[in-house]
Amino acid sequence: MRVYSAIFAREARLAWAGGGGAAGPAAFFLAAITLAPLAIGPSGDLLAAVAPGILAFAALLSVLQSAERLFGDDFSDGTLDLYALTPVSLAGLSLAKVMGQASATLWPLPLIGIVGGLMYGLPPGASLVLGAALLAAIPALALTAGFAGALAAGIKRGGLLIALIATPMMVPVLIFAAGAGRSAFDGDERAVANLLLTLAISLGTTALMPFGIAAAVRGRLG
Amino acid sequence: MMLEENPRPVATAFAPLRLEVTDLAVSRGETVLMRGVQLSLGAGEALLLTGRNGAGKTSLLRALAGFIQPDSGMIRLNNVPTSDAAQEQIAWLGHTDGLKPGETVRMAMRFWADLHGQSRKAILPVLRALEIEHLIDRPAGRLSRGQQRRCGLARIELANRPLWLLDEPAGPLDGEGRACLAALVAAHLARGGLVIAATHQPLDWPGARHLDMAAL
Repeated sequence: MRVYSAIFAREARLAWAGGGGAAGPAAFFLAAITLAPLAIGPSGDLLAAVAPGILAFAALLSVLQSAERLFGDDFSDGTLDLYALTPVSLAGLSLAKVMGQASATLWPLPLIGIVGGLMYGLPPGASLVLGAALLAAIPALALTAGFAGALAAGIKRGGLLIALIATPMMVPVLIFAAGAGRSAFDGDERAVANLLLTLAISLGTTALMPFGIAAAVRGRLG
Repeated sequence: MMLEENPRPVATAFAPLRLEVTDLAVSRGETVLMRGVQLSLGAGEALLLTGRNGAGKTSLLRALAGFIQPDSGMIRLNNVPTSDAAQEQIAWLGHTDGLKPGETVRMAMRFWADLHGQSRKAILPVLRALEIEHLIDRPAGRLSRGQQRRCGLARIELANRPLWLLDEPAGPLDGEGRACLAALVAAHLARGGLVIAATHQPLDWPGARHLDMAAL
């Protein structure tokens, strides 16, 4: 357990020191949700209705923004080779690595999501549900981005490949996270069900995706 | 937290290890890099892989480490396939040293010591042996290429694995660095370790065997 804690702490520290921490995803998220109303128009009812979808989609894109560096840097500086020769499970190592980076870079997204919901005219309760849904979605989004990042490590124009691989895989969590906010806005009792389904997808992804990431990393070693 | 100021502990000998490579063939796409490779290396032996660029030195090392799946042949460590034994037996030094620009030498060495299940007390003596003790709080991004390579050598020494696979270990090193490398290798071999190194530069390692990859 100490080993996985060390990997988690190192990734969080490196994300702060070298990657600007949460500034990149937070700035991207803020820019996206600030610009979207300029394109949609000034109708308050319309903005409130589309807020959950816009915010969830912007959060998804914010997570993808840093995916290329997640394993790309380790590939280019030889760290992936070294990881493969440690007596640590590559799946466990991948989980600790992705979650370490996510903890340092993605934590503002639910908070910005709550404030953004209020800005779009969502009631406070619905904004809180949306923020909770984004929090529940982060493990699924981060691990899916990590899987795509591992597959694309060291590949030219890997960002394009990451978008093509990860975006379709993120559709379920996008639907349920946005659905939680939308149901809360409508006063629909399915808000809790959507929130729990988002959480269930994240738990399932946390249990399974590290093995996919480990297989992708092994594939990149040759 | 300070690292403890311990003198370098007396290293214990490794359990006897033998590397056997039989009829190894490796290709990349349609290009056959090597075929029919036979190797046998025992405790305390070093092998230098030489040959022109593209001769397959790095590919052979990567196959031995289990990174590349060979087309055919066997690679065994004490009769166990390397795919099952690599994590416990092999330390790897590639073209790059796995250092992060924003991380100090101290942080990096602690991390790799933890990951390999080794004591942090060994860090300072190893850095001292490689004459980079004074760089311990310097970020890796501010180290020269030769200093980074010495950190890479410190990492493999810390890993405490019997089989060292080194890809151009002396490339960025100056004369003093090469002397440190030779001393490190000699001490490793004296413990019963094995060393295989791909190199373009002549390395003066007493008793080391040579394998010209161009002949394969």
